Amino acid sequence: MRLSLRWKIAGGFALMLVLIALLGWVTLSLFLSLRTIQRNVFDNAIPGLITIDEIVRSYTAQSAAVRGYLIGSQPSLLDQYRREVAIADVWEERGERLFRSSEERSLLDDLRVAGGEFQKLVDRQVIPRASRGERTQAFRVLGQEGTPLITEIETLGGLLRTQQDRLRIESERDVRSASNNALILLGAVIAGSLALGGMLAVLLPRRLVANLSRLVDAARAIERGDLDQKISVESRDEVGELAERFNEMQVGLKRLQQLALQDRELEIAASIQRNLLRRGVPHMTEARVVPLQRQANLVGGDWYDVDLIGRTLTVVVGDASGKGIAAALMATVALSALRAERGKVADPKHVLEAANRALRDASDPESFTTVIYSTLDLDTGATSWINMGHHSPFVLRAAESPDHATQGYYLEGPRNRALGWFEDPGLTENHARLAPGDRLVLFTDGFLEAKSQEGEVFGEHRLAEVLIKLAPLDGDALEHELVAEVERFAAGKLDDDLTMIIIEWVGTREGVPDRASGEEPWRSKR
Amino acid sequence: MAQQKIDIDITNEGDYRVFKPSGDLDVYTVGSLRDAIGAVIEEENPRIVVDLDAVPFMDSSGLGALMGGVRRLREAGGDLAIACTREQHLKLFTITGFGEGVSIAPTVDEAAKGFKA
Repeated sequence: MRLSLRWKIAGGFALMLVLIALLGWVTLSLFLSLRTIQRNVFDNAIPGLITIDEIVRSYTAQSAAVRGYLIGSQPSLLDQYRREVAIADVWEERGERLFRSSEERSLLDDLRVAGGEFQKLVDRQVIPRASRGERTQAFRVLGQEGTPLITEIETLGGLLRTQQDRLRIESERDVRSASNNALILLGAVIAGSLALGGMLAVLLPRRLVANLSRLVDAARAIERGDLDQKISVESRDEVGELAERFNEMQVGLKRLQQLALQDRELEIAASIQRNLLRRGVPHMTEARVVPLQRQANLVGGDWYDVDLIGRTLTVVVGDASGKGIAAALMATVALSALRAERGKVADPKHVLEAANRALRDASDPESFTTVIYSTLDLDTGATSWINMGHHSPFVLRAAESPDHATQGYYLEGPRNRALGWFEDPGLTENHARLAPGDRLVLFTDGFLEAKSQEGEVFGEHRLAEVLIKLAPLDGDALEHELVAEVERFAAGKLDDDLTMIIIEWVGTREGVPDRASGEEPWRSKR
Repeated sequence: MAQQKIDIDITNEGDYRVFKPSGDLDVYTVGSLRDAIGAVIEEENPRIVVDLDAVPFMDSSGLGALMGGVRRLREAGGDLAIACTREQHLKLFTITGFGEGVSIAPTVDEAAKGFKA
């Protein structure tokens, strides 16, 4: 399970908050227990001690006042006795409120009984006898019966005092115990806080920084071009995920690097193919040859070749099936075989047979190449072509006069099979004769198969119409306008190569056969 | 070249299969047809009729895949026939000469009758 760094930090803070809350709770508990103990001492133990002392003192004072009265017969001492009786009542009532334990209450009750008996003795026996002048008897009664009661009161007071002392001692012990517990708890909480804080403050950043340092080092290595950095970060947080992404990024970069190398190799292949194809068009006064090639990719399957041997102009256009490198290789094989063979023999049939053999040897079962191999006699305008599974050539007839519209036709004739697939593709040749100004147009299927956004293909009809429409233009302009037209049709999206060669025979009109003589073998499909 | 998939509806018609691709059969999609043919090549007497009625466009790559299929299936003791009524495709077969020696008919049944094996 992946634990987010955010949750780790939030968890650390939450833990710290818990520890702070625990610290607060311990402090509060200590404060409350001290307050309870304080209340026990100040609200119970000390007032209890004072009350007992006052009660005992009051009875002792009562006894002393009565004795003084018996000795000196001073009425003020009798009054003092009465005041002390009232004072004793007040303190005894206070004692009733303070002493809540059964033992204390029992001792207080005994003390009050003894006090009551002492006052009853004084009021009913001692003072009446003294009033009657029997002071000696009054003294004796007070001594014999009153003094033991006072002694009992002092004893009971002592016992009550002991009770209050015990309460005070217990309170002190509770204070010490509570303090010790609080100190232990505080120590534990502080130690825990320090340990956790230390871990959060030191270990987490250290680990984080260590992981980030690894990433920084790897990034620097990648910057130097080393794409074999394996970053091992065990952490299951964002840093760990970053490391994973980093590793994946390296794989992607490596792939891109390989692609870049492939692109470079492809550029080299394209350069080789361009150089192979770029055989200069020979200069002739009798004919003009205008080639155009627009490749959909860096390399392609379209190719052409122009050669002048003696007074015969040879123009070949080929189209290897498929696209890309495979098609480019087949184009190279076909063109190389064709040139090599033509160097030995001039007969187009032998040249095509050799090209077919080379393509069959090199091809995979799915590859084939269509070719149109044409020749033109520069002196007579006689032309021949062998169609190996290719689209028919087109001819733009020179207008007989400026008032006549240009005519154009596909030159249908016997067709053979594409190269590279059949052992005997057939090699039937077609013948025709051009008139001066006539233009023979050879092209590949990229023009015909250009597709509109609606999926409609450019097709032969549209190509014928556009060629006738653009006929007033010279070769270069015509081809560029035609390509622009096709691109407009395909909304700029051309997937296939476009290759076209326009061969114009310039020869004079003298000696040209009459077109209506029936010698012309052209047939138009339109 | 980025490969794209083309849907190929495959049905069994007794002793042969009918492959009916839907969509353009060109350099981008031809891999699907090649793979589908490759998947049955190991069978005994593998025979396929490829119905092109739902293929509005086919380029030289598509044609090459069909012809390659003919060759591979015949080498494996089977055959490939083509059911097609689309003029554009039929013309392509005629121009390149690939229509010769391969059973091409308007319907699947008629195409199947022309199996060589």
